Order: sequence, then structure tokens, then C-alpha cells
Amino acid sequence: MSTEARLRRFSPAQRLFHVTLMLCFAIQSATGLARLFSETPWGQGVGRLFGGYEASLTVHKYVGLCMLALFVAHVLYLLATLRRRGLAAVLGPDSIAPAPADLKQFFQHVGWMLGLTNHPRFDRWGYWEKFDYWAVFWGMAIIGGTGLLLWDPLASSALMPGWGINLALWVHRLEAALAMAHVFLIHFFIGHLRPHSFPMDMAMFEGSVSLEASRGERAAWVERLEQTGALPGALVQPAAPARRLLFLVFGFAVMAFCLYLLVGGLANVTRVTW
Amino acid sequence: MSASRSRRRGLHLLLGLAAVLAAWPGWAGAAEEVTSPISRYREREMSTGFYEEYEVRPRRMLPYVPGGPQARKGVVSASTQVSALVGLGFLSDAHQGIKFYERRTCQECHPEQARSMHATRAKITCRQCHGGEPMASVNHYYSPLNPIRRHAYVCAKCHAGASASFATYVVHEPLPTSLATQKSFPLLFYVFWIMMALAVGTFALFIPHALVWGLREFIHKIKEGRHEH
Repeated sequence: MSTEARLRRFSPAQRLFHVTLMLCFAIQSATGLARLFSETPWGQGVGRLFGGYEASLTVHKYVGLCMLALFVAHVLYLLATLRRRGLAAVLGPDSIAPAPADLKQFFQHVGWMLGLTNHPRFDRWGYWEKFDYWAVFWGMAIIGGTGLLLWDPLASSALMPGWGINLALWVHRLEAALAMAHVFLIHFFIGHLRPHSFPMDMAMFEGSVSLEASRGERAAWVERLEQTGALPGALVQPAAPARRLLFLVFGFAVMAFCLYLLVGGLANVTRVTW
Repeated sequence: MSASRSRRRGLHLLLGLAAVLAAWPGWAGAAEEVTSPISRYREREMSTGFYEEYEVRPRRMLPYVPGGPQARKGVVSASTQVSALVGLGFLSDAHQGIKFYERRTCQECHPEQARSMHATRAKITCRQCHGGEPMASVNHYYSPLNPIRRHAYVCAKCHAGASASFATYVVHEPLPTSLATQKSFPLLFYVFWIMMALAVGTFALFIPHALVWGLREFIHKIKEGRHEH
């Protein structure tokens, strides 16, 4: 295992963003659902983890604020990257920005799934990864924006009519439901359940991926690194087995908690007065 | 030199923007309490000796028409006598003439109104806002729930400092899924369905996508396993 070549995929800063976002997201999901499902014993049980119905809101507000701070830090990080690397950071092949090629690769990938075409030659980021990344962006703006309006309805009703609170709460709920369902169903499936990743794709935690596997999955990326001579510099040591075990336990603990929220929420959805 | 000047100009621009934002009256600015201008009530104040220090200029601001435009006729069908009356929202005793009124609970006739977060979460009873008997219609001049004083007489009992704008929060929120809401609170209806369309669109694409992908990899793995043996 230690002889296997590993290709660097995420920087320490990016991994830190992911792990903090992941913790904040799990807490926000739990405290938000505790409030939404407060009429049901299940929701009250989730709320008790955070000190009850009222305390859940306090936790929700401050963790939400942390999440917004994280978002601002990420935007600053993007601006710093743009300054350091210039427009190539956006237009180049390492960019997470959507490009016309993504649409083509999407159709080719679906064709490959159905056995009609060859596997697309993905570069560093696949279209589904770009979608996940930008979905967090729009989610942050929508949930964070409405969350700030809901923070203090007395203050926000001075900036907008009070019935805006009705709208803000529904937008906050629905966008959060979309985000949770997307992460708990689709993101977890892609990262854990599909045969390629099972039991867990650790790239986002250890920061590197197997070079051999990437040759098949992301042919254009590895080929580009080889052609530009950047490949030797991009090779890193694999994480120690103990660290990998820690990632596995941590990943599964958070996933199990989130799936508990998903199943509990879906099972109790009819018991809430909407 | 020029860099520091442009930076200073940027700072000035930011300060200017902050000043404009700070001085911005806001959409609901008309609802704040203002000292009455001397000219307006001066004569009355002088003749009656009653001086108003403050007055409130509320706005209705309601996008929400309870029950929709047809609400006036027969929606609150507690009694034909009552619904036959014109101006249901302006009665001094909204329940006058209803048979066996004393024996009934509010929810029997207003089941939809029981479905509010104030009731389900804060366990607030009807009378805590709507008052005791006789219960005036919300638009009756002396009703505590009349929008001209609702924020001060009712909302502020719990939400200290409530403004008239704050009081336009729709406590008895209609179900956003219901078609009737398209007429009674169209913004809520459209906001709800646009968000639902976004969610349904995302899942309609990515759930089958993930499943077919997983299946393809699974089949691929089985085939590979066969080749090895």
C-alpha cells in the first residue's frame, strides 16, 4: 500500500474548508430539524441533544453565523487564488468553474452508463463535482440570506414588510430540505456507496487519490500533468493507516448521524402541522 | 501615489455607501413612531388640552387577503345570518347571532386557523390575541387586532417593540401548496412552487443519474471479477 503512487488532489486549506463545512452542516441540519419537527417525539429527541427547543435555535443561529464566516473566508480564499494565479485559475483546466465541455461530458458519461459510448476523459473536476460545489454557493446565499432575515424578525421587519418573514421562513426551509436531501442521498451515494468509492472515498480527507485509478477515471488530468511535467511534483505520500482509520470512523459517524436525520425526518413528515 | 489615491477613493465610496444605507428610510419606514408635527394637531391639542406625544402611521401592506377575494360571502359559514351580513370584518361582536355559540370551540368553525405556529409551537390560545367576549371583527374600529393598533396591542405583548410592519406577518398562514393560496397570498404560493421546482428538477436529474452510475460500476466490477478467475 505504501508503494502505491498518490496524486495530490486537494490542498490542506480545501480539506479544512470541507471538514468545517461538513461539521457545521450536520449541526445545522440537526438543530433545524429539531425545530421543524418539534411537535413530534423524534424532533424533541433531536432537540434534546442540543439542550431543547429554545437552545436548538441558539445553537442554530451561532453555528449559522460560523458557516457564513466560513463562506466569507472561502470567497476571500477564491479572490486570493485569483490574484495569485490570474485568470487561468478560472479559465484553466484546474478550474471548478463550469465550462461547455462539462455538458458534453455529462451526456457522454450518461452514454457510458448505458453502454453506448466510451468513458469520457474527465479532467481534474467532473461535472457532478462542479455542481456540488456551486450548489453550496447558491445554498449559502439563499439559506444564509434568509437566515439573517429570520435572526431578528423585529429588526428585519424594519427593512421589509413583516409578511416577508413568512416568505423567508419557507424559502429557508425548502432550500435547506433540498440541500440536506442532496447531501444525504446523492453526495453520500457518490462518496460512499457506489462501488468505486465503497466504503468511503477519502480523497477529500487525505488530500490525494491513487494515480493508477485516476489514469482511468480522469485520463485528461493525469495526461495533462504528464505532458506539462508537473506529475512528479504532484505526487505525495499516502496517509498513515491510523489516519485513514480515523477518516473512516469520522466519515461514517457523520454519515450515520445524517442518515438518521434523513430517515427520521421522512418518517415524521406527516406528523408536523405544516 | 496613484494607488493610494485610488484606494482612498474606494474607501470614500464605501463610507458614502455606508452613510446612504444608514440614512435609508427603509421600506417600512412609514411604520415607525414619529413625533407629531406641531402644525397637525395643534388646534385640537390647544382646545382639548390633550397632547399626543407620538403617533403611528401604519400601512396595511397586506399581500394576504384572508380567504381570497371571495371571502366576503359565505366562507366563514358559521351561520347564514352572519354571512349574509355585509362587511363581516367590521362587526363589534363578530359572533353575534350564532346559535349555541357558548357551547362551541373556536376550532369547530375555524379549523384552518388552528394551524398556525403560534398555536402549535408556542401553545398560544385564540383568546390571547383575539380577546374576550364580545370578540370584535379584526377590522372593527375598536378591535385590538385592527391593523392600526395590532402591533402595539397584541404583538407587543410578547414581541416587545413590534412595529406595524412586523404585525403584517401572517400568523394564520395559508397552506402554500393550496390553490386557494394563489389568490390569498400569491407571493407565498409562487415562492413555494419555484423552490419546489428547483428541488424536483435537481432530484429528477441526479437520483436516476446516481443510481444508473452505481449500477454500471457494479456490473463492471462483476465482469472484471469474472475475467480474473
